[in-house]
Amino acid sequence: MTKGNLSRRQLLKTTAAAGAVGTFFGPWKHNRVYAAASDKPIKIGITSDASGQYANSGASDRRGMHMAIAEYNAKGGVLGRKIESTHIDTETTPATGSRVAERMINREEAGFLIGAVSSGVANAISQVAQKNGVIYFNTNSSSPTESGKNCHRVKFVWDGNGTNFAKAAVKNSIDRFGDQWTLLTNDYVWGHNTAAATRSLLEQYGGTVVDEILVPQGTRDFSSALLNIQQAGPDVVAAAIGGDDQKAMRQQVAQLGMGDSPAWINNQQDWPDVYGLPLDNLFGVFGTTWYYKLALPGVDDFVKRYQAMYPDTKMRVPGNVFYNGYMAMSNMLAAIERAGTTNNIAVIKELEGHKMSAKDRMQHDDAWIDPATHQVQQTIYLATANTGSEDKDDMFKILNNVSPQDVSDTNAGGSCQLESYDDTPTFDA
Amino acid sequence: MTLLLPHIFNGLTLGLLFALIALGFTLIVGVMEVINLAHGSLFGLGAYFALTIIGAGWLSDTTFGVWWLSLPIAPRYILALILGPIFAGLAGMVLELALRRTYGKVPLYGLLLTFGAALVIEELIRLGWGTGEQFLQLPQSINGAVLIGGLIFSKYKLFAAGFSMLAIAAVWVFLEKTPYGAIIKAGAHDSEMVRALGFDLARLRLLVFGLGAGLAGLAGVIMVPIWGLRPHVGVDVVIPAFLIIALGGVGSFWGSVTAAILVGLSVGITGAYAPAWSMMSMYILLILVVGFRTRGLFGKKSALEN
Amino acid sequence: MVTLSDISRRSGQWITPQIAVFALVLLSLPFWIGPIGLYQYIGVEIAIWIIFALGFNLLFGYTGLHSFGHGAYLGVGAYAFGLFQLHVGVSLFGGLLAAILAAGVAGAVVASFVSHRRGIYFALMTIAFGQLFWFGAVKMHWITGGEDGLLNIPRPDLNLGVTSFDLSGNTALYYLIATLVIVITILTWRAVNSPFGRILQAIRQNEVRASFIGYEVWWFKWVVFTLSAMFAGLAGGLFSMAQESAYPDVMSLHQSGLIVMMVLVGGGLVNFWGPILGVVLYFIARDVLGAITETWLLWYGLMFVAMVMFKPEGLAGFLAELKRPSEPETWTKPAEEQ
Repeated sequence: MTKGNLSRRQLLKTTAAAGAVGTFFGPWKHNRVYAAASDKPIKIGITSDASGQYANSGASDRRGMHMAIAEYNAKGGVLGRKIESTHIDTETTPATGSRVAERMINREEAGFLIGAVSSGVANAISQVAQKNGVIYFNTNSSSPTESGKNCHRVKFVWDGNGTNFAKAAVKNSIDRFGDQWTLLTNDYVWGHNTAAATRSLLEQYGGTVVDEILVPQGTRDFSSALLNIQQAGPDVVAAAIGGDDQKAMRQQVAQLGMGDSPAWINNQQDWPDVYGLPLDNLFGVFGTTWYYKLALPGVDDFVKRYQAMYPDTKMRVPGNVFYNGYMAMSNMLAAIERAGTTNNIAVIKELEGHKMSAKDRMQHDDAWIDPATHQVQQTIYLATANTGSEDKDDMFKILNNVSPQDVSDTNAGGSCQLESYDDTPTFDA
Repeated sequence: MTLLLPHIFNGLTLGLLFALIALGFTLIVGVMEVINLAHGSLFGLGAYFALTIIGAGWLSDTTFGVWWLSLPIAPRYILALILGPIFAGLAGMVLELALRRTYGKVPLYGLLLTFGAALVIEELIRLGWGTGEQFLQLPQSINGAVLIGGLIFSKYKLFAAGFSMLAIAAVWVFLEKTPYGAIIKAGAHDSEMVRALGFDLARLRLLVFGLGAGLAGLAGVIMVPIWGLRPHVGVDVVIPAFLIIALGGVGSFWGSVTAAILVGLSVGITGAYAPAWSMMSMYILLILVVGFRTRGLFGKKSALEN
Repeated sequence: MVTLSDISRRSGQWITPQIAVFALVLLSLPFWIGPIGLYQYIGVEIAIWIIFALGFNLLFGYTGLHSFGHGAYLGVGAYAFGLFQLHVGVSLFGGLLAAILAAGVAGAVVASFVSHRRGIYFALMTIAFGQLFWFGAVKMHWITGGEDGLLNIPRPDLNLGVTSFDLSGNTALYYLIATLVIVITILTWRAVNSPFGRILQAIRQNEVRASFIGYEVWWFKWVVFTLSAMFAGLAGGLFSMAQESAYPDVMSLHQSGLIVMMVLVGGGLVNFWGPILGVVLYFIARDVLGAITETWLLWYGLMFVAMVMFKPEGLAGFLAELKRPSEPETWTKPAEEQ
C-alpha cells in the first residue's frame, strides 16, 4: 500500500520537470502561472473501456487523447502546467464506471475526466462527475439520451448521435431508394430511440414503415429477421443494431448478398469496428463524423502525425473514434487555456456556445457546442463502401456532407435539463 | 405473410449449429463430470489459430509466407479447419494438466478453475491477436447465397449445418463403435474397472479433455464466419452450451443433440413471429422442461448432482 | 482439510472477540482508508458486497447449494429501491424495505422451482432464472431505463424521528452501511450456530440422509434461498443508493460468477469469515491491478487459477492451516467414486 506515497513522490519530481519545460517554451505564459502560484500538473482521468464489448474502440479513443496531450505538452503544457493522464479500465460496465470515476476524483485527484464509448458507462461516470463538479467529456457514445434526458452541466458530448445520423440519411434515401421502409431495431433504449427518430422523419417526408422487427440484444443469428425482410420486400431497411450484434449481422447480410437489395441504412459505423474487414461487410449507407481522406486542409498532416506517433499500431490510419478522442481532448485543453484558469465553472462557461472553425475541426462546416444540450453540433458525412479501391485502408466512399443546422437534434433541447451553475460544486483543478 | 416452412427449415439448421457448439461441452461433462467454463474461450482460440493459419500470421512477410498466401484459399482453409481444432485441443490438454489437482475434491473446483482459465485465455487472445474484429476468409465454393423456394439462404450456413451433422455422427461412432469409446465410457462410470483392465486413467482423461477442447475449437472455426471473430466471442457460446446440456440431461449424448434442435427451432420460430422474444424463448424452454423433469429430457444420474 | 462444520461453536455468544475486532476495523475505516492509498467509495462498495456475500454463503457454503444467478436479486433490490424513491417517496427505510421484500419475493418464486433440485441442475436453473431477470430488466425499459439504467435516484436522509442525518457524503453513507454490516454479521453468526444452521450443514453433507432423519429438506432449501435473496436485495438497495442509479449489468451471469469467485477465494467453504476476506481481496486486487495494467484480468485470472489449484480452501483455509499446521487431509469426496 506504499504505492500511493511512491506515486505522489514521482508526481513531485515530474512537477519540477514540467515547471522547467514551461519556463523554456513560454516565457509570457509562465509569469501568469507563477502569479497564480500553481505549477503542479493538470491531471486528466481517462475513463475508456479496455475490456468488454468496446475494448477496441476504447483503445482508439485513448490514442486520440494521448496524441492531443503529447502535442500540448510539447508546446509547454497549458497555463505553464504540464498535462498528466491516468487511465483506468471501465470494462464496458456502468457499475465499474461509477467506481472508476470515484477513484479518479478522490484518489487520483483528476481535475477532468474524458472518454466513453458505451452510453451506460458514460451515464454512470457523468453522475459522479456532476456530484463533484468535475468536467467530463463523453467522446464517443452516440446515444441521443446523452445530450437529451441524461445531460449534465459538467458533461459535453463530442460524437454525432443517432438522431443526427438519421436526419442526415432519411430524406436523401427516400429520394434515392424508395419510400417503403422496414425498421430493424435492437430491442433496447438506444435502438428504440434511433428507430423512433427514423420513423418520425420518415413520416415527415412521406415514407411508410412497412414493418418494424425488434431484435433482442445479444442476437447472433439474424436469419429469421432476414427471411422476414425478404418476404416483406421493402425498398429500404433502416438498421439500428449496435455493438457485437451489428458485427454478426453485417457478416450474415454479406453472405446472403443482401447488401444492395434492399437498400440498407445503417446508423454510424465506427472505424475500429470495420477496419480490415472485406468491403462487402460494409453494405449500405452509413454515417460518420470524419474520414481520413476528406479533401480538406490539415487532414493529411493529421494522418502523418498519427502515423508518426503510432508506428506499430495495426490500424494504419486514424478513424472517427480516434478523431473524436483527439478533438475532445485538445478542445478541453484549449478551453482551459482560454479561460486562463482551471476553475471548473469558468471552463464550462468557456465551452458553452464555443465555436470551432471548420479548419480546426477538419470538417466542411464550422461546429459549435450547443449551450442548451452540451452536444457538439457538427458536419455529418454519409458514406458507403469504396468498392474497387486499390488502397486497403481507403474503405469509405463519402457520398455527401450534411451541415450541422440540417441534422441538429431539435428534440434534445426539450428533454435536457442542465443543472444550474450554483448546484454544481466549484473548484480549481 | 410469414410462411412457416422456411422458418422451420431455418430453425433446424440453427439447431444443428447449436448442437455443434455444445458437442465438446457435452463430451467433457458426460465423461469427466467437469463443467468446462473455458469452453467458449477454447472455441475462440480455435478460430484464432485458424485465422493465423489462413493468413500466415507473423510468417506472412517471409518467403514461406508469400508462397503460402499465393495458394488459393481452399487448401489453406482446409488445413486451418484441421489444425485450428488440434491446437485448441492441445491447449485443452494443458488445461487438463492443471485440472488434475482438483480431482477427488469438490466438483465445484473444476468449474471454478476453468472459469479462471477462461479469463486468462481471453486476455492472451487479446495480447496475441489484438482487440479488433477479425475476418476468417472462406473458399468461394461454400460462400455466397443459394435460392431455395424463392428465398435466399446462406450457402455457408447450410455447409456448417451439414458439417455439424458429420461431426455429431463421428463423435457418436467414436464413442459407440470403437474400443476407445468403450473405455472412455467405462472410465466415466467405473474408474476402478478401467484401471483393473490396465488402462492409464490419467492418459484417458487427458485424451477426452483434449478431444472436447478440440471440438470446441472446431465449432469456433465453423461458427465464426457467421458470428464474426473478436476476443470475447466465447461468451456467446458458454450459455447456449450450458442450456442445451441442462435441457438434454447431463451425460446423454442424444439428449443434448435433441435439446439443441429444440432450442434452434424455438429460437428460429419465435424469431419469425415474435422476434423480440427469440433469446428469451431458450430460457423459458429450459424452465418449462427442467421445472417438470428433474434431469432434463434424457438425463442420467450424475456425480454433479451432489 | 477443515470444513465449515469444524468451526468451534460458541452458540451462547452473540458477540465473539472476532466480531468485536471486525466491528472495530469497520468503524475506524474512514480514518485510515485514505492514508493507505484507497478512497472512501471503495469502502462503501466493499461493505455492500460483504452483506451480499454473507447472505450468499448461507446458501453456497453452509447449505452447499451453488447458485450462479444471485446477481439477479441484487439487481431486483437495486431497482426496487430506486423505483420506490422515484415513484413512491424519498425514504430510506421504505426503500430498503422495498428492496428486501422485492428480492425476497423474486427469490421465493425462484426457490419454489429450484428447491427440489440438486447439484448441477440446481446451478443450471439458477443461471436460467438469472438470465430471465437480466433480460427482463433490459427489456422493460419503460420501467427500468433499460441498459442505460435507472438514473438520478435520490439518496434519502437517515431519519430517526428525533434527529436526521444527511447521507449525501460517502463517509456518512459508509457509516450507515457499516452499522448494517455489523448487525448482519451478528445475526448470521447466530443463525449458522443455531439448530437451523446445523440442519443447513446436514443438508450440505448429505441431503438424502438429512431427509431420512425427518427434515423437510426442500423446505429448508426454500427458506435459505429466499433468505439469501433478501440479503442480496438489501445489498442491492444500498448499491443503488451508493451509485444513485441502478443498472442491469449486476444481474448478468458474469457478475453472478464474481460473487462465487469472491466467496470461494476468501474461503467461504471452510470458514464463516471467508466471504468477507474474499470480498476485500477481490476489490483491492482489482483496484490496484486495474490502475497498474490494462491486462489486469490476465493477472487476476492467473491468480485465481493458482488459488484453485494450490489452495482451494481459500484465504481462510490458508490462515486456518497456519494455525493448525499438523492437521492431516482427511476429507475426501471424490467425484469418481460414484
